[in-house]
Amino acid sequence: MRRHVVLVPVSVAMLIPAYLLVVNALKPQAEILGDPFGLGSLTLSYLKDALTSPNFSIAHAYVVSAITAAVSVAVVIACCGPLAYLIARKDTTPYRVLFVLFVAGTFVPSQAILIPVVYVLREIGLMNSVPGLLLYEAALFAPMTVFLYAGFIKSMPRELDEAAAIDGAGLLRTYWRIIFPLVKPATVTVIILNIVFSWNDFVDPLTILGPASGNYTVTSAIYEAIGTYNTSYTTVFPDVLLAVAPAVIFFLFMQRRFIGGLLSGATKG
Amino acid sequence: MALRTESARPVVTAKAAGPAPPGRLVRSLPQTIMAAPGLVLFFGLIGLPVVLMVAFSFTNWNGLSGVREFNGFANYQKAFSDPTLLHAYIVSAIIAVAGVVLLDVVGLALAVAVAGTGRANFIYRTVLFYPFILSAVAVGFLWSALLSYGGAADSVLHALGFGQPQFLGTPVLALVSVTAVSVWQLLGFSVVVMVAGLQTVPRELLDAAHVDGASRMSSFRHVTLPLLAPTLTFNSVITAVFLLRSYDIVVALTDGGPAGYTQTVAYKIINDGFSLGQLGYGSAQSVLLILLTAVVAALVMLVRRRERKAR
Repeated sequence: MRRHVVLVPVSVAMLIPAYLLVVNALKPQAEILGDPFGLGSLTLSYLKDALTSPNFSIAHAYVVSAITAAVSVAVVIACCGPLAYLIARKDTTPYRVLFVLFVAGTFVPSQAILIPVVYVLREIGLMNSVPGLLLYEAALFAPMTVFLYAGFIKSMPRELDEAAAIDGAGLLRTYWRIIFPLVKPATVTVIILNIVFSWNDFVDPLTILGPASGNYTVTSAIYEAIGTYNTSYTTVFPDVLLAVAPAVIFFLFMQRRFIGGLLSGATKG
Repeated sequence: MALRTESARPVVTAKAAGPAPPGRLVRSLPQTIMAAPGLVLFFGLIGLPVVLMVAFSFTNWNGLSGVREFNGFANYQKAFSDPTLLHAYIVSAIIAVAGVVLLDVVGLALAVAVAGTGRANFIYRTVLFYPFILSAVAVGFLWSALLSYGGAADSVLHALGFGQPQFLGTPVLALVSVTAVSVWQLLGFSVVVMVAGLQTVPRELLDAAHVDGASRMSSFRHVTLPLLAPTLTFNSVITAVFLLRSYDIVVALTDGGPAGYTQTVAYKIINDGFSLGQLGYGSAQSVLLILLTAVVAALVMLVRRRERKAR
């Protein structure tokens, strides 16, 4: 019981920003400044203003963010799953070197290579486009995906593959028909982590989509809308609330899988 | 068994490649098909950019003009004599070191408190974890609104009679704010990692310590903590890597201010490389950041390995 004496205040402290976010998204500027914690004169009108803002369309931002997250995770699963299978099963030097390179890739900060990435995307004609952005998001998640899948597949018995080979299945068929369905936990982890990572990524969409494309994600849109020195709190709070709401809802629904997935990713290392 | 697999082989290749002799090339075709997309994705958008980054770092390219001349180590010389870059490294180091220590200590203490099963612990873990899934830019803007002059934090302190401390307006408080908000966002992650670590400590060992008369405190120190060392290493490395990359929170919370005081290494790379158009110089800074991250990670793991061998 004694622990609750500590945990209750800690929990309250963790939740205060969320409370202030929701409450102040529903208040006029004077109330936000005068009585940030109070519940007087709540209105939905500022939230409505944010939804119909002339600066940017939050619906458009949701769609671009959702497409980027969904397609990039599909790309990374389709590209890196089979590769991880080869890395896990072929115990030859080239594949061992590849594995080391992929692990090293997890230590490359995305901001650090953004300058040359812009150069590469421009050369292949994908700069200022959603496909360019989602391919880069997929590439950023490739090391973690290979790492997760390879760790998972290594823990599975090789007899599975041998049985499939005896039945006449080739490598590709063995992977997609036999192995892939069995590594579902790893796939769930990859999907959840990648969706959250991609949804929250900020400087990459801001730079790659750029102002010229007319496209924006939720994070780059609120950055443009709020700017740095905006003190109009009746736009800041509603915008931030709309930006984080989908992630919070996703988290609350997927929570057990989310934390479990994060840990299976962590402990396999 | 081996014989049967051998005899099955021709059937496989016959299916895959028709009547062609099962040569090396034909047999490696499926492997190529499986490996190629992942390799193109990784080496095209991670590997190639890393190589280009190193190449750009030896040029005076500004990103706009076609002029891209080799200028040797000039960018690196500039980096080592640039006081604002040194400042950025100090700021990033303070955020990373203070952050990692707080996340290890507070994270572990809270993990011990919420490690059990049951509804209450589940709710506590949810409450601690939720900031981790929020967008860091949104978190930065939210806290910026709460901490700025006249914001909620000010009004609380004002009501308590402490005056208005200008959290984001004075250099030291701004740095403390960036660190504190980063810890607020990462704390739940550390707690969850530590809870998983605690679950690997065998129950029997703790029971045995209890039977031997060890107090809860001493069994924690002499049984749990040593077994938790790999978890602490993992948490330290991952959170250090996160914190050394601090950019989103800084941009939204202080935008590097006041007067550039809270500019981190990542902030300076983006700022110099894109806003100021010094792509060569920005690339040199990136090379240094990646090297530093690798050295930090390698050092932590080396120290750990040595400790393990010593035991």
